[in-house]
Amino acid sequence: MSEKRNKTEMVLKEASPAYCVSADGDIDLSLLRDSLAKTPWERMQANDDALNFAESLRTAMEKRHAKS
Amino acid sequence: MQNLSELMHRLISSQVEFVLVGGFAAVAHGVTQVTLDVDICCRFSEANLMRIQKAFADLHPVHRSRPDLPLELTPEQCASLKNLHLKTDLGIVDCLGEVLGVGNFEAVLKHSVEVELPYGKCRILDIDALIRAKEAMNRDHDKITVKYLKAIKKQQGQN
Repeated sequence: MSEKRNKTEMVLKEASPAYCVSADGDIDLSLLRDSLAKTPWERMQANDDALNFAESLRTAMEKRHAKS
Repeated sequence: MQNLSELMHRLISSQVEFVLVGGFAAVAHGVTQVTLDVDICCRFSEANLMRIQKAFADLHPVHRSRPDLPLELTPEQCASLKNLHLKTDLGIVDCLGEVLGVGNFEAVLKHSVEVELPYGKCRILDIDALIRAKEAMNRDHDKITVKYLKAIKKQQGQN
């Protein structure tokens, strides 16, 4: 079991070498690095995109619940 | 449709004297949490408040606590306002006269940095002052933002 888990972790590690969390495990540092590579304007627009995507998901879920 | 970037654009184009604070400032610094509103600290002079009113005039601005009240500021109201919480067609804008942990507009201005946006320059609360402000607020999501901001400081120190 433990050997299987170790193997999976190794594969995941190799598949996503950029994935890394902070010392306390709360922050995905790879996401943070991606964000820091952007300009402040690009970060603001990414926030808007995320907001609107969340809104479209919410609307889709509401429609789904209304149908069922 | 939310468009916080457009709200910023309008504030800058209307020459509103303000500093971006709060979650959207954290986003500008690189925090990857999503924020729902624009928080600004601004000078609460009549002229500046009228610029804010003009900036959002076609976005059906209303007072957040009283959505039945459209934004129609009078000089008397301007003189007594400490904060202005607005809801517009493009999102929420909270205009604050002071920031907890930092101080009034002059103090906030002193602890701000200038960033270049496609349509003009904007002042944003610097990362240390933003950490102080978020620590002073001390809500659960503020604590997470502080962790992000400290991680950003560390990353920037390494580059």
